[in-house]
Amino acid sequence: MSSTLLIKKNWTKQSLLADQEVGGRKRGRTAGSWVDEIASQKKVITLCPLCTNKFNPAKVGFRKEKDIPYCTATCDGCSVKNEPKCSWYIYEETYNEVRFTKDESRAWHKRKAEAIKRGYYI
Amino acid sequence: MKYSGNLSSSSPVIKKYKSSATTLIAGIVGLRSAANASGQVTISTTTSFGDSLGLILDQSEKNGAVTSYSTTQGAVEGVVSVIVNPDQILRAKMVTGATGTSITADAVATAVSNGLTVVGGTSVASPDMDEGLLWFTSGANLSESRKITSTSSVTATVIVPFPRASVVGDAYCYAGLNVGLTGVTLTTDLKDVRADIAVSTGASATALDFDLGPANDSFVYLVLGDQVYNNAT
Repeated sequence: MSSTLLIKKNWTKQSLLADQEVGGRKRGRTAGSWVDEIASQKKVITLCPLCTNKFNPAKVGFRKEKDIPYCTATCDGCSVKNEPKCSWYIYEETYNEVRFTKDESRAWHKRKAEAIKRGYYI
Repeated sequence: MKYSGNLSSSSPVIKKYKSSATTLIAGIVGLRSAANASGQVTISTTTSFGDSLGLILDQSEKNGAVTSYSTTQGAVEGVVSVIVNPDQILRAKMVTGATGTSITADAVATAVSNGLTVVGGTSVASPDMDEGLLWFTSGANLSESRKITSTSSVTATVIVPFPRASVVGDAYCYAGLNVGLTGVTLTTDLKDVRADIAVSTGASATALDFDLGPANDSFVYLVLGDQVYNNAT
């Protein structure tokens, strides 16, 4: 009967950080400048849990999606594919064009309830 | 149109796809580009969601100007973000007319006490609203809605009676849309759904639910019927 030896890998701080870095962004581009470019084009930005903290959405006029906090996407920072825990950021001016939020839904039903109470729609 | 979640309650899957020659705009449904056409995604038409990819989330934009693709070597490649879940739920405003801003409301012309018919001033038979929805926006039946089971000229008939008698002047709206029925016709900006078109006409999307309110504030929730990742066609 064969036996299997389990050897624990000794992670150093450097090797752990190095393993968390994933290449693959646009050729010759740093992650930051690539995300900046997407932001300047007002496109949706998707960032994995490791990259999301490095991005300040308010600074560039973006809104973090909070109703549905995660999406499955390619991280615009480190290019990891099909990451199911990506945060997604939508350009503030575009947000209301593409997202129907819980707040909006509550407001709509509140308007309806008030109209029924009042007896007519405005 | 707005993204409102998925039937499966899962998270959205977002992809960045290459723009085609058509200028892409946030809030409309993107389709797979046709064979031998540029790019990967193009826009829907007012009556077709054939081979749809999903809701476009951003503009094809560069330096503040909306643009499409570029055939200039060295130019930045145009891409747009698209939600590609086949079961995505889209919320669209219901309107009347190709560029309409609200549903054309009608008013009861002949009082009906048994609640089984609604007799108004405009035809519900042409375009035919049979199997569509009718809901009151004023009067004793305010906010009550029923499925239209037959139509004749200006009269809509229902099987489940409205709870109270209608009187002359009660306002109501109707739509050629109903739960589980496939077919919607869009406005020319491709964002709103026309309620004044006969049932089951137009682009392949199925009504899932409704927010029935006043004429300028009523919505339909849709699921795409011909989405490429269903791998059905």
